[in-house]
Amino acid sequence: MTTIQLPHFLIVGAILFALGMVTVVTRRNAVGILMGVELILNAANVNFIAFNHFVEGPAKLTGQVFSIFVIVLAAAEAAVGLAIVLAIYQTFRTIDVEETDLLRE
Amino acid sequence: MVGVGALGAHLVSGRPLGAAAIVALYLAVTLLVWGVNGFAFRRLPLSGAALFLFSAATFGVLFLLGYLLGGVAGPFLIDAANRAVPYLKLADAVFYLFAVMTCFGAAGCAFSRNIIYSAWSLLFALLGAAGLYVFLGADFPAVAQVLIYVGGVLVLILFAIMLTKQIGEDPKLTNTHVGFPAGVALAIVTIATLTYTAVMAPWKVAAERSWEPTAQRLGIAFLTDYLLPFEVASVVLLAALIGAVVIARKEIKETSDVST
Repeated sequence: MTTIQLPHFLIVGAILFALGMVTVVTRRNAVGILMGVELILNAANVNFIAFNHFVEGPAKLTGQVFSIFVIVLAAAEAAVGLAIVLAIYQTFRTIDVEETDLLRE
Repeated sequence: MVGVGALGAHLVSGRPLGAAAIVALYLAVTLLVWGVNGFAFRRLPLSGAALFLFSAATFGVLFLLGYLLGGVAGPFLIDAANRAVPYLKLADAVFYLFAVMTCFGAAGCAFSRNIIYSAWSLLFALLGAAGLYVFLGADFPAVAQVLIYVGGVLVLILFAIMLTKQIGEDPKLTNTHVGFPAGVALAIVTIATLTYTAVMAPWKVAAERSWEPTAQRLGIAFLTDYLLPFEVASVVLLAALIGAVVIARKEIKETSDVST
């Protein structure tokens, strides 16, 4: 029997979430911000599946179902987000989010 | 590395090294130094005799290190490992391997200066998370993670990096705005808060665990209990992909009213 319990996975999820948030906050590259969002979604997934395994028990599968939905939405988010990044690049010739301030003027 | 390992093994086993083994080790170290010289030390061009001298010095240092490890620290390390084996479970070791892989990948993604290295670090974070899913008895989400994230999203991210950045023109596009210290402070505060919550909260832990394959039950759940979200998700995917194509295609305009 293993000694790994629920808090171990929650701590891994917390570290993933914090590092994803740091990525989102500190990057100026739009693609880097999208990678941070992927990290945050993965942290949510780790928590979903850990709670499904440890709290819900084997009778239900709600956490795994929601993790699949999160993965699906992450794929859709990545496709649309990277398309927007490409459109921004075609318009501004840069993907520095500091310089894409057309609406501010 | 192989040479150092062989050296350490010989010294641990207590047999003296033969002359041929020493020559082979010296050649291995020379090759290693030559490779590292070409790969990493571009600023330090070594050639000819300097290369052999440098590799001889490296070999001497490695020999002393191996002798110290084998003769002095080796028995102590072996004894400590023998004592630690009963307390170290293989499953725990696998968990910590995946957890360290995930966390270091995420840290590399967050703090790397080059966006390409960030993307490769993200690969390790995603693979480590997939390993954690397997560890939690979620085989289908793990496979979906590898297929969709690593096979789809990461390739898409790499494409976006290649398409938006001229290679070699601006390698320092990933300047930080908030800054490295502020980012580290934010990470520490967030991790501390969430860890405190995760450890101190009284979770109602279920009694039984199961590592059975869940793909069949997931499929049944998707087509019975979660049918409406399933269909909505498929429509969302379709709409997102069509929208991505529409947004990302190159528009042909007569008069470009948006300039830099």
